[in-house]
Amino acid sequence: MTAVALMTARLLRRAWAGLVALLVLVVLFELVNPLVAQSLGGPEGLEPFLRALPPAFRAIAQVAPDNIVRAGLAGYLALGFTHPLYLTLASVALIGFVARALAGEMERGTIQLALARPISRSRVYAARVCGMVLVALALAAAGPLGMIAGLGFTELRDVIVYDRFVPTATAGLLLFWAIGGLTLLGAAAADTTGRAIAFATGVLVISYFVDYFAELWDVLEPVAPFSLFAYYDPFLALTRGELPVQNVLTLLLVGLAGTLGGLVVFARRDLPS
Amino acid sequence: MIQARGLSKRYGEVLALADLDLDVPAGIVYGFLGPNGAGKTTAIRCLLGFVKPSAGSAAILGHDTWRDGVNARRDLGYLVPPDAFYPDMTGHAQLDYLARLSGKPPALRAAMLDALELGDDALGRRIGAYSKGMKQKLALVAAFQHDPALLILDEPTDGLDPLIQRAFEDILRELRDRGRTIFMSSHDLAEVERTCERVAVVRGGRLIAEETVAGLTRRNRRIARVVFAADPPPDLVLVPHVAVVEHVGRRVELAVERDVNPLLRFLAQHEVAELSLSPPSLEDVFLAFYGDGAAEDGADGGAAAVAANGRAGAGSRR
Repeated sequence: MTAVALMTARLLRRAWAGLVALLVLVVLFELVNPLVAQSLGGPEGLEPFLRALPPAFRAIAQVAPDNIVRAGLAGYLALGFTHPLYLTLASVALIGFVARALAGEMERGTIQLALARPISRSRVYAARVCGMVLVALALAAAGPLGMIAGLGFTELRDVIVYDRFVPTATAGLLLFWAIGGLTLLGAAAADTTGRAIAFATGVLVISYFVDYFAELWDVLEPVAPFSLFAYYDPFLALTRGELPVQNVLTLLLVGLAGTLGGLVVFARRDLPS
Repeated sequence: MIQARGLSKRYGEVLALADLDLDVPAGIVYGFLGPNGAGKTTAIRCLLGFVKPSAGSAAILGHDTWRDGVNARRDLGYLVPPDAFYPDMTGHAQLDYLARLSGKPPALRAAMLDALELGDDALGRRIGAYSKGMKQKLALVAAFQHDPALLILDEPTDGLDPLIQRAFEDILRELRDRGRTIFMSSHDLAEVERTCERVAVVRGGRLIAEETVAGLTRRNRRIARVVFAADPPPDLVLVPHVAVVEHVGRRVELAVERDVNPLLRFLAQHEVAELSLSPPSLEDVFLAFYGDGAAEDGADGGAAAVAANGRAGAGSRR
């Protein structure tokens, strides 16, 4: 096993309990969604429910209300991937892991275990990137798998096109990659876990509310493209199986810029004493 | 083995390390001394590539520690702070993990565990449950286990009981005899005196002395206690390098700077009932360097230290 793989495995092992708990919560949250849809009467019963949703709640879906109604069950289920609870659980898992793996290890001095050996900073950093990608993959898969499992418990299982969970998971992965990249940048520059988490959470919360309020108030529309969530569209993925190229490229580039920026910062910085 | 040229490190306004020149030859135990905040740890962090020098450079086996850190650390063992270990790992798992990262077999692990009395029972427990002393032992095993050519140890015996400290000193001597180089900082001056051949003394981020332990102690003052057969001769105060510290009846306590021969020649001309000459200890030297309570941190303190060094180096006790 190479040093990078060894370090990645160690980071995941250390964070294992917390990550598994959050992944289980993500799975359970998405598993419940089809059950709720069935309790509301399936595709037919959802329409009056969706029409009754207040605008502030419909803004969470980032989709025009009529479109949600027209999309029926898939439109309703897509709400599960833009719901603040889902995004919070996934972000806590990802940001917490990355912040502890880099800033946390610098804060505790644990990173010296590797850096006192013939291992370059770029390899130490690469282990954190690998860990981040694996956590992002697990989170991106957990939601759709939970929802598929939930559908299995209902009579709605034949109403949905399962292939569309692939682009839905991909949309999630791209969002998590971007969040992970920005968190790596913050963690590379920070001396403590707290500062890294504060930076990443700050960026994410601002990004979320820019997108949310731009959906509610037309005057904020010009700033919407500055939000990560403007490029995250699980509704389109789950209802039509589409993943816009612009969204893919933007999130890929944001994640890449954050990751490379973090590498440059980490390679040049002093370790905290 | 280790070479530093003009090595400096500034943290904002604070000059933690100033213009350090150091040459540590292979095959010796080298002490790196100084009070808290003197710049020892900063120098060690520069050697390990943990911080980037603000000026100057350091090299290990010819490899620059910042630009070519991987090669500089290729055959190095470093004593990590005891709290740096993963608390969820067992001692065994931690040592295995570090051996794999080092890329060298843990040839010295069994001998180190035996010498430091760290048994299988302890190694099977999570490190989070270790005492400070056990973590320090584990850190020592981790640093030594792959038998590196150079060991950099920051306060290696901190938290160890006296018996283990002595066992550790034996290990250092054994490794030195096998050609290994040990660069260590310590507050335990008696330990440094017992184990180190050469020492560097830093203060205020600056090097203020660098020589063999024997040379350093030799140039410090000694205390001579003389009991004359009759009243002490009045011209005793005229003897070069000698100052009377205490005079009670026929008994005189003298401070002898550097050279004792003028005193011995003087005493040979008189009837002496008793004579004792205490050798200066490294602690005396250390106190001579730092005993004036001057500021220790930063460039200003360092400048003061350099000025003070002229006096201390000449053997004056202040």
